[in-house]
Amino acid sequence: MDREVPDKVVSANKEVTMVEELLVNIDDINTEQASSQTEYMAVAEGEDDNKVFRKFKIKDIVFLAMMSAAMLITGAIMPLVGQIPLFGIIQLTLGLQFSIFPVIGMMKVRKPGALMFISLFCGALMVFMNTVMFLCMMLCALVAETLALTIFRGYKKNGAILLAGTIYFPLTLPFLYIWYKYIYTMTGEEGQAVSAFVGSSPALAVGISLAVIALCFFGSIIGMVISKELKKSGVMKK
Amino acid sequence: MSFLRLKKEIYPLVAIAAGLFILLFGLIMAKTVESSFFLLAVFVWFWIFGWKRACLHILPVFFVVGTVFFLIFYFATGKALSALYIVNRLAAILLGIVPGMGTRPVRMTRNLSQLRVPRSITLGMLIAMSFPPLLAGEIRRVQEAMKTRGAGSFLSPQIFYRAFLIPFVTRLVAISDTLALSVETRGFSLSKTPYTVYEKESIALIDIIFLFGLMAGAILMVVL
Repeated sequence: MDREVPDKVVSANKEVTMVEELLVNIDDINTEQASSQTEYMAVAEGEDDNKVFRKFKIKDIVFLAMMSAAMLITGAIMPLVGQIPLFGIIQLTLGLQFSIFPVIGMMKVRKPGALMFISLFCGALMVFMNTVMFLCMMLCALVAETLALTIFRGYKKNGAILLAGTIYFPLTLPFLYIWYKYIYTMTGEEGQAVSAFVGSSPALAVGISLAVIALCFFGSIIGMVISKELKKSGVMKK
Repeated sequence: MSFLRLKKEIYPLVAIAAGLFILLFGLIMAKTVESSFFLLAVFVWFWIFGWKRACLHILPVFFVVGTVFFLIFYFATGKALSALYIVNRLAAILLGIVPGMGTRPVRMTRNLSQLRVPRSITLGMLIAMSFPPLLAGEIRRVQEAMKTRGAGSFLSPQIFYRAFLIPFVTRLVAISDTLALSVETRGFSLSKTPYTVYEKESIALIDIIFLFGLMAGAILMVVL
């Protein structure tokens, strides 16, 4: 004996089928949308990679700020060594860490302006430690970035990073020389400051300048080697 | 009434201005005996206005390094005054750091956010100002790990590179990745989205009294 299926049950079954169909369609729509969105984003990122000037992301800013913090903590002796009357003493004591960390920062964040950001973030504390040095470093970062971008058209090549990292800190030497020559006076007698800071022989100043350049070049190489090693091991991602 | 309130902490931008003023004025006027008295007065003024802890932090550095510099310059130049001037310079630099040490980074960031400074700059400055103590801890941890493993002397370049630099930078990368993720998940954006400041900083009468006191001291020193 066949029993008739109640109308309510039939309509409920129909609803379930419709909802299932709808869900399947939504899945299809979502998958299509997602895939098209992913394609669009990939194309946009690809286009973005080809540009010289690219937008900074949060992770870039955070990484550069961490590098600045590392530079600051290793460069905390700056206000003390700055008082020693020897030309280039700050650069000699801090050259290594002020080239290693910026190079690591630029190796990960290969965007123009990365060095400027590092200098600016350092300035948050350095402005109190050594205001002149902070201003010098901002200027030097600008000059170093401009030179690297003019020659290499971006930071895609490692050479651009090596150049920027090597000249960034030694460039502060001429700026500091101007500061000592025209503004800084040690005992109140004109010219004594410069002779005290440059030393009795100009050859010493030239020697120290060359040593600072060599130190910063060495630091930049170390920074690049560290970055490559970390990229190879998968610790540092793009 | 908020302008007249006697709040505890100095307005961050006033603190920056005070630090820069002391640093530059102190360096320019260092070659006078009067500047020693002025810098002593500034120290007391900072102490009164709530930077007691920062003042205490710079005291040991001042005494140790100041004594060393004084002796070096005294024996090098043979003049006690030249040695005093270099100590004045050191005091000006250390006093210039006090407002920066005494102002909490988060207050500085709030203040800059209020003034619509780009968020990429405020975020970076906040991290650069807040993280040095944490990184100091990381350095200690890496050094302890070196000792535990018996890595050898810290002065050997190879050991320094392999056992110190690589682990330290690895930790930096890990911290920055976690930090970037947590910043993003909390809705922080670098785009021009509207945002509010949790606790707004406002200038008060006490800030003006503080600045007025510094200026009055500087003018008195120049005039007298």
